[in-house]
Amino acid sequence: MRVLIVEDEALLAAQVDKFLRDQDFVVDMAGDGEEGLYYAREVNYDAAVIDLGLPKLDGIALIQTLRREENRTPVLILTARGDWRDKVNGLEAGADDYLTKPFHMEELLARLKVLIRRAAGYASAVVEHGPLRLDTSRKEVSMAGKRVELTAFEYRVLEYLAMNASRVVSKMELTDHIYEQDFERDSNVIEVFVGRLRRKLDPRGELKPIRTIRGQGYRFALTAEQR
Amino acid sequence: MRFSRTPRTPTQLAEPSGTRRGATRLGLQSRLLTITALVVGTCLGGVGWVLDRAFNAAVLAGAEEQLRAVAYGLLSAAEEGEGDLAFATELGEPRLSQPDSGLYAYVQDANGRVIWRSPSIIASGSAIAAQPVLVKRPAPGESFFGTAEATGDTARFAMAYTVIWEAVGSIEMTFWVLADQFPYRRQITEFRRSIALGLASAAAAFVLIELAALRWGLAPVRRMAGRIRRLEAGSRPDIGDDYPRELSGLARNLNRFIHNEKANRERYRRAMDDLAHSLKTPLAVLKNALGERQSANRDMMRDQVERMETTVAHQLSRAAAVHAAIPVDSIAVMPASARIAKALKRVYAEKDLVVELAHSDLAVRVDERDLLEMLGNLIENAFKYTHKRVRICAHEAPPAADGNEAVAITVEDDGDGIPPGKRHLVMQRGVRADTATAGQGIGLAVALDLALLYGGRLEIDDSDLGGAALRLALPRGR
Repeated sequence: MRVLIVEDEALLAAQVDKFLRDQDFVVDMAGDGEEGLYYAREVNYDAAVIDLGLPKLDGIALIQTLRREENRTPVLILTARGDWRDKVNGLEAGADDYLTKPFHMEELLARLKVLIRRAAGYASAVVEHGPLRLDTSRKEVSMAGKRVELTAFEYRVLEYLAMNASRVVSKMELTDHIYEQDFERDSNVIEVFVGRLRRKLDPRGELKPIRTIRGQGYRFALTAEQR
Repeated sequence: MRFSRTPRTPTQLAEPSGTRRGATRLGLQSRLLTITALVVGTCLGGVGWVLDRAFNAAVLAGAEEQLRAVAYGLLSAAEEGEGDLAFATELGEPRLSQPDSGLYAYVQDANGRVIWRSPSIIASGSAIAAQPVLVKRPAPGESFFGTAEATGDTARFAMAYTVIWEAVGSIEMTFWVLADQFPYRRQITEFRRSIALGLASAAAAFVLIELAALRWGLAPVRRMAGRIRRLEAGSRPDIGDDYPRELSGLARNLNRFIHNEKANRERYRRAMDDLAHSLKTPLAVLKNALGERQSANRDMMRDQVERMETTVAHQLSRAAAVHAAIPVDSIAVMPASARIAKALKRVYAEKDLVVELAHSDLAVRVDERDLLEMLGNLIENAFKYTHKRVRICAHEAPPAADGNEAVAITVEDDGDGIPPGKRHLVMQRGVRADTATAGQGIGLAVALDLALLYGGRLEIDDSDLGGAALRLALPRGR
C-alpha cells in the first residue's frame, strides 16, 4: 500500500515514515502543502495523511483542491489544536477521518488501514474471497482454513490485488503501490511474485485466483461462490 | 506560564440587572416626567391661588360698591318728616321694596334704635328684621363694610354709613344696607370651577407635551439601550453610531471597547493555537520516540508524557473558551449539530448510522467555536458508543440558576448507556467508562467545563433509545 504523508514537522514526519515503512507501507513524504499537492496529483495513493497546519498551502485547501480534481484518495487529517471547528472544516473539505496530535503510531496505523479497507469496500479488517481469507491487521493469509506463508512483498501484491478485486491492475500500478519510487521498475519481478503467489495459493491450479489479462495486467478472480 | 482561569460559578455569572430591573428604580423618562408634573402642578396651583384671591377681592370690592350705591340712594331718597324720617315711595332700588329679595336696609338713630326698615325686611320673616347686625356703628362721616354676623341666618354683606342729619336738628343716623352673600359666592364658585378646569387642562397639556418631548429626546438613549440588549442576546455585532452629539462619544468608545474585546479574544485564541501547535507536536515526537526505545523507564516516561498531553489538551480547551464580559453571538443549535453529525458520518461510515435531527430554530448565546467543541464531543461520544441510532434535539429548558432562559440540547444513542455509578466519572478528565474505544477521555470533561463557564450544565441520563442521553443546557440566544 502506498501512502502520502504531508507533514512539515521533520522529526514527526520521519517517525511516521519509519513506522509505516516498518509496517510494509510504501511512503512518500511531503514537507508542505504544495509539494503534497504535486505528489497527490502524480501518484495514485491508497491513502494520504495530511497535517492541517502546513506551510505554502494549508491542509484544508490541499484537500479541497484534491476533491475538486476528483481525487478520491482517502485522507486522514492531523490536527494539533484538536479543535472541533478544524475537524469539521477538514471533514467538510473532504477528509475521511482525523487524528489529534499527539497520537499513538498504532492508532494512526489502525485508522489508515480502516480508511484503505473502507475505500476498497470492506467493512472488516478480514477480507474474504471464497476460500481465501486475508487478515489485513495481522497480515495473515489462509486458503480454505490452511495458513499460507507469504513474504512481505508477496503479501503486498496479494493485498493490493484483493483490495482492487473488481478491476484489472496493471503491472505498473502494482509496482507503484508496492515499491518505493526509486525502485528499478522491472516488470519481470512482478511476474515472479505473481507466479509464486499462484503456486502458494493454488498449488493444484484449480481455482486460478489471479488471472492474467493480456496486454493489461492482472485481475483478482476469486469470488464468494468459489468454495 | 499558567493558563488556568479563575473558575466562575453560575451564580457569579448571573446577570445582576435582571433582578435590578424589577426593583423600584425609576427610568429616566419617569424621573423627568415626575419632576415636570411636580413643577407644573406647583406653578399652576400657585397661579390658581393668586387668581382666586384676586377674583375674591374683586367680587368683594364690587359688592361694597353696589351696597355703597344703594346706601347713597337711600340717603338721597330720605326726606325730612316731622321730627322723623321719611322715604320716597320709589327707593331707586326696586329690590328694597320686594320681600325676601336678598337686599335689605334699615336706619338706626344714635341710640341704636331702628327708625326705618326697608319693605323687603318688613315683609320677610328674616331674623334680620328682629335683630339688627351686631356691628359697632361707624362714627359720623365714616362707613363700614363687612360681613354681618347674624347668627342662624344667611351670611350677608353689610354696609353702614353714619350721617348727622342737620336739617332735623342734628340727628345722628346710621344707614345700613345688607345684601345676601349667596349670589357673590356663586360667582366665586363658578369662577373657581372654570379656573380649575382651565388650569387642569393646561397641566395635562403640559405633561403630554413633556411626554412627547421626552420620548423624542430620549429616543437615542432608548435606541442605545435596545441595541445593548440585542448585543447581549447576540443578534448585533455593536451598538451602531447613529447617535446625537451628546451620546456619540459614549457610543464610539463603547463600540471601540467591544471591537477591542473581540480582537483580544481572537488574539488570545491565536496565541493558544500557536501554543497548542508548538506543544503538541514535540509531545507527539517524544511519545513516538518513547515507543521505539527499549528502556526500563519507558513505561514511566510514557505515562508522564501522556499525563502532560492530557493536561495540555484539557487546559488549552478551557483557556480557549470564550466567556468574556462582552456578549457573544447567538448560534442556532440544530444547524451546528447537523454539520457535526454530517462530518462525523464520514468518519463512522462503516457503522452506517441512522441520525435523527429534530427541527428547531432555538439558538444559544455561546461562541461558535465553543458550541462546536461541546456538541462535537457529545455527538462523537454518541457515534462512538451507539449501535445504530443517534438522536439530537433541542428544546426550551427550565431557566438556569441565574434566572436566564436556557436551551437544552439532548444527544441520545442506542448503545449500552453509562451506568449511574460511572456518570460523574466520565465527566472527569482522562476517565472513560470503557477502555475499548480510542480517545483521550477528555471530551465530556471539556464539554462540562465549557458549559459551566457559560452558566450552563451537562447531565447524563438514560435514553429511551436504550443508551445514554447527554443533556447540555446553555443560555438561550435570540
